[in-house]
Amino acid sequence: MSFLIRETLVYAIPLMIVALAGVFAERSGIINLALEGIMIFGAFIGALFIYEMQMHDMVALEKGAANWGTMQLFVLLTMLVAGICGLIFSMLLAFAAINLRADQTIGGTALNLLAPAVVLFFIRIIANQNDLRMYKGDAASWFMIKKSYFGLKDVSNFFVDTFLNKIYITTYVCILLFIILSIILYKTKFGLRLRSCGENPQAADSLGINVVKMRYTGVAISGFLAGMGGFVYALTTSNCVANGDVAGFGFLALAVMIFGNWKPLNIAGAALLFGLFKCTAASYSTLDIDGNGQYLLLKLSTDPVWGKILNANFYRLLPYLVSLLVLAFTSKKSRAPKAEGIPYDKGKR
Amino acid sequence: MKKIIAMLMALVMVLAVVACTSAPAASGNNEPAPAQQSGTEAVANTYEIAMVTDVGALMDKSFNQGTWEGCENYAKAHNITYKYYQPANGSEATDDDRYDAMKAAVEGGAKVIVTPGFLQGTALEKAAKEFTDVKFIFIDGWSMGLDNVSGIAYKEEQSGYLAGYAAVMEGYTKLGFCGGGGGTNPACCRYGYGFVQGAQAAAAEKGVNVEVKYTWQYGASFSASPELQTMVNGWYEQGTEIVFSAGGSIFNSITAAAAANDAKVIGVDVDQSFESDTVVTSALKGLTASVEWALAKVYDGSFAEIAGANSANLGAENDAVGLPTETWSLENWSVADYEALLGKIKNGELTVDNAILEDNAIASVSFANVTVQYV
Repeated sequence: MSFLIRETLVYAIPLMIVALAGVFAERSGIINLALEGIMIFGAFIGALFIYEMQMHDMVALEKGAANWGTMQLFVLLTMLVAGICGLIFSMLLAFAAINLRADQTIGGTALNLLAPAVVLFFIRIIANQNDLRMYKGDAASWFMIKKSYFGLKDVSNFFVDTFLNKIYITTYVCILLFIILSIILYKTKFGLRLRSCGENPQAADSLGINVVKMRYTGVAISGFLAGMGGFVYALTTSNCVANGDVAGFGFLALAVMIFGNWKPLNIAGAALLFGLFKCTAASYSTLDIDGNGQYLLLKLSTDPVWGKILNANFYRLLPYLVSLLVLAFTSKKSRAPKAEGIPYDKGKR
Repeated sequence: MKKIIAMLMALVMVLAVVACTSAPAASGNNEPAPAQQSGTEAVANTYEIAMVTDVGALMDKSFNQGTWEGCENYAKAHNITYKYYQPANGSEATDDDRYDAMKAAVEGGAKVIVTPGFLQGTALEKAAKEFTDVKFIFIDGWSMGLDNVSGIAYKEEQSGYLAGYAAVMEGYTKLGFCGGGGGTNPACCRYGYGFVQGAQAAAAEKGVNVEVKYTWQYGASFSASPELQTMVNGWYEQGTEIVFSAGGSIFNSITAAAAANDAKVIGVDVDQSFESDTVVTSALKGLTASVEWALAKVYDGSFAEIAGANSANLGAENDAVGLPTETWSLENWSVADYEALLGKIKNGELTVDNAILEDNAIASVSFANVTVQYV
């Protein structure tokens, strides 16, 4: 059970935080299709930052001294750097969409095409091959939090095994950020103003809200979260390797955002659901759901009758199948911000 | 609603565009860096020794890298220019992409082209027939009856056997095997079957029962993936102690899972213990040495000895397979024990079945002391 929760979070956290990135842009009125591109860029910056940091004696010494707390600080720092670079990258979209009033879908697509190209260009210069790996070692032995760090090596209960063991600090930071930003979006003056720019910018402007500034802010937050999400993805799921690819997580996040109806709580639910099925698909053969030492899903998949349907391919299909089903039933209620995708024009009423 | 449909359509379009274009534009005509490394008087910008890479990264810390180092060592020692070419489209490279890379190599002045990976067969055959005065060294391959091609195959089953034997002798009883190539790559199939045979032999000797989880899932393109990491994580979580990673960059996912669970990994092709502390030993294939050996044959004029019908199949008797003794970390099974076993293979006292068991064929073989769970 702890395993299932942990691994579900591995998939769900990047999706969740990047989907929230999408929400901030769209609620301010800018369609951010560039999430994938920004994630790729953030993943690259994060991996590069880790790579460079590992070369420094100070970091190596801290690692040598097993100062795991300090290592967490390095992770936080990398998240920040990746976020800031994602923010800068997203400004390209903001400039095209707000100042130049370009078609936002095309602007986003352009960034999605640009990011892998730019990233691979630099990776080839730095590493002389198609992916950038850690300078040495692996992500888990450098940055993962384990229960032995808390002196709980021999303690085994649900709480310790699930929340204090084999987990990255990024998970908690993302959850915290998710909560804080959701509250900001719904419970503060700033959030209300941001949302109003995505619904009726003319009305907002008439009340003295600077629509351009609000939209820039929306995209900036979006870029920060997506860039950070890209690094979180690289760290937790691909051993801190950047290769100009995040396995389509940016697009999945967009889907999760629509799935979650542009609302944070629904998005969290959608991401968790999707993550759960993704994780089940990959690890069905060792899933001991009720803890009785029996692998039910494996048994089903090797069963002569059930195995014809409930095999590995079916489990891999599930996350997408479930998304489709849920969307089919809920899309009637789905409602995108009204003014999204429309460049703001003062003269237009 | 309209907007959602429009957005979804846009998404699909974007996905399609990205899928078509995001593949690395890594063709033959870049790579200034390795050329500079060669340090020779590469005046005319021609490169005599060319390597066309297999799927996966050049510095995959495994198959491509081992071959590349062989080219590099020989070229540096003999002051010959050298360069590598990566077929376009990365892991999805087609035969045409590979052929184009080989053609680019020939146009770049290559006299000998080293092509690791059996996937390159079709492209190689076309290129070798067209460029008959260029010599081809086909690692993990066969000669196709062409006199300018030397196919070098390895007896992977022997080094897989040694690795499996070592793991069980060391005291591990719950093993795992993750193979690349989706269950159709002959080299990976031989590694896997050899590994299980070795485990069986050691288990019979010690009188213990051993479990082996055996899979080709998520390794088809020899690249790391989150799913593979999750799956192997699950294995380790449920008690698997050591996993044999036989497939280039999938090593990344497997060590990530191993490090998270303080478990162990067996590397492949080259000594991978430098890459991660989780590696206890590696099933070696003497890539670097045999590439140098073959290149020497090219340059001393005795290429015919290994070309065409005389293509080499290298095994323990040629010192081309084995385990790394310089970085030995096993405690319950010594280097001396290893060498005794290797000697038996060398003098033919012990033969390892080299059958290629594709896909789930392993599940239908029965072993007295080993339970194979095909996943």
